[in-house]
Amino acid sequence: MGRIIGQRLLSLVFVIFSITFLTFSVGYLAPGDPILVMLGPRRDPAIYNNLRHQYGLDQPWYVQYWSYVNGLAHLDLGKSYHYQNKSVNDILASGIPVSVQLGGTALLLSLVLGIPAGIFSALHQNSWLDRTNLFLMLALFSIPSFVLIPILRALNYFLLYKNGLPSLPPAGWGQPANWVLPVLVLAAANLGYIARLTRSSMLEVLKQDYIRTATAKGLRQRRIMYVHALRNALLPIVTVIGPLLAFLVTGAFVVESLFAIPGVGFIAVQSIGQRDYPVIQGTTVLLATTVVLMNLLTDIAYTFLDPRVRTSA
Amino acid sequence: MSTIERAATRIGITGASPPRGFAAHSFPQRFARNRLALVSFIFIVVCLLLSIFGPTMYNVDPNRQHYEAINTWPSAAHPLGTDSLGRDTLARILSGLRVSLLVAFYVETITILLGASLGLLAGYFGGWSDTLLSRLADMLFAFPGLLLAILVAAVFGQAVTERFGGVGRLLLVAGALALVSWPLMARYVRGQTLSLKERDFVLAAHAVGANDARILVRQILPNVAGLIIVAATLDVASVVVSEAVLSLLGLGIQPPDPSIGQMIRQAIDYLEQNWSQVFFPSAVLTLLVLAFSFAGDGLRDAFDPTSQN
Repeated sequence: MGRIIGQRLLSLVFVIFSITFLTFSVGYLAPGDPILVMLGPRRDPAIYNNLRHQYGLDQPWYVQYWSYVNGLAHLDLGKSYHYQNKSVNDILASGIPVSVQLGGTALLLSLVLGIPAGIFSALHQNSWLDRTNLFLMLALFSIPSFVLIPILRALNYFLLYKNGLPSLPPAGWGQPANWVLPVLVLAAANLGYIARLTRSSMLEVLKQDYIRTATAKGLRQRRIMYVHALRNALLPIVTVIGPLLAFLVTGAFVVESLFAIPGVGFIAVQSIGQRDYPVIQGTTVLLATTVVLMNLLTDIAYTFLDPRVRTSA
Repeated sequence: MSTIERAATRIGITGASPPRGFAAHSFPQRFARNRLALVSFIFIVVCLLLSIFGPTMYNVDPNRQHYEAINTWPSAAHPLGTDSLGRDTLARILSGLRVSLLVAFYVETITILLGASLGLLAGYFGGWSDTLLSRLADMLFAFPGLLLAILVAAVFGQAVTERFGGVGRLLLVAGALALVSWPLMARYVRGQTLSLKERDFVLAAHAVGANDARILVRQILPNVAGLIIVAATLDVASVVVSEAVLSLLGLGIQPPDPSIGQMIRQAIDYLEQNWSQVFFPSAVLTLLVLAFSFAGDGLRDAFDPTSQN
């Protein structure tokens, strides 16, 4: 097991290097001169050179890359172009807790609803209940979030608000009621994915010999399902945390900007409008590294959960 | 085809592998048996035709503002109503559909040319080319979801639009999305090639003296073509959504030119007054995405009779 973790850590170094290198290259190759944009019409060569030096833009690319990586190693994402007295860290810091709360709640909700939905379907395989459930989950998985948002908002407005019933705020952040719609939208795709995965994994496990053995020796059906089968059926769920997080990252951009939630995605979209490349780069590095680290943690967790992986190492 | 190869084909030791000949024979029937896939395929063809001929047939300028009809419901003058700036929604959907499908077409062209050929080469030759490709793909896979496409479109977008106009922007969006989707195609094709090159018919082709280029093109490529078509069809579904997401975030096609994602974004703000303006573009986009997924599933089942269940 130690060797597996060692290998994973080594590939982690490579992956994080790629993330920083690609992100840096995109920013380095960015067309236009950010300092000229910053200065606007007042072009004093002395100020220009001074600012260029301050941002390190007068250095060759490898020096710039090195100081970029060096900064990252000290958790410093650089300086904003748009807000000259603010660092990217300051700008993103306010968004991180919001995005973590939103994404974490959505992930939790999709697991809490998706796993039982999948088990339910597997236990009623090929019945109309199973088929309806599967269709529903496929719909949740394939309807894009930006289509789900207007549907939910329309339901909220026309069914609740217009009839004078208690309704949810259509956008914004701060009140607990603000959470409901964005969390539902963000959870939807993952919910569909988890439910379908749980179903197929459960069906796969139920075909195994040891389940037949358990039935043959007269164990109660419920015990077989929930103790013998479910444990193994849930293992694949652990491995898809990576894809789930990837959904959440893209989802966060859409959901946060459509619901005006001041998370990392919202900040990034705002900085796109301001052509504040360091913030966009910072967001990219932050999100990609988080997902990569989470993947590593799941891999390690998996080796603990599945003895077969442990012994084969 | 050389004489000896032709002879080898006739006695069945080389040439097209048996599954290919078999599939080609009854492929349309098997695809048509899946009704959902067939309906999806017809829907896709209709959308394609609409996106090509629609804007000429329904000759209304999608960018013209009709000030007498702002944010209206469907009517005789505007079959699908008008948006909050008084522009005809049907005309905008037709042009938006063209943008969606054009971007998908460019993305899949790049994905197939780049992903499939690199996958073929890496899988067939192995060695350093394989290592290089796998590392490159890993580098791009490190970015979750659309993140890399968002970064590229965000940083280069404005300059590209200024220098090359709308067409340049469209190509940039396609390029950014292809950056995300080609590694997956390369990985699929590489995997398939790895197993194909060990098969008997490839060995037979080697034995009759075919060179690597010939084996790749005549023996391996026909057998990965099905996989490539299926993967590309399924990928279109996600590309259409991704293009809409980029437009929604202000990174895609720039206003006033229509794109479906942007139409939805704009109409959401007026949802309470006129939900039809959100409904039409959303419905078209969702149906298009579903159609490509179902058609892709149908193609996969038709190519591989063993995967029916």
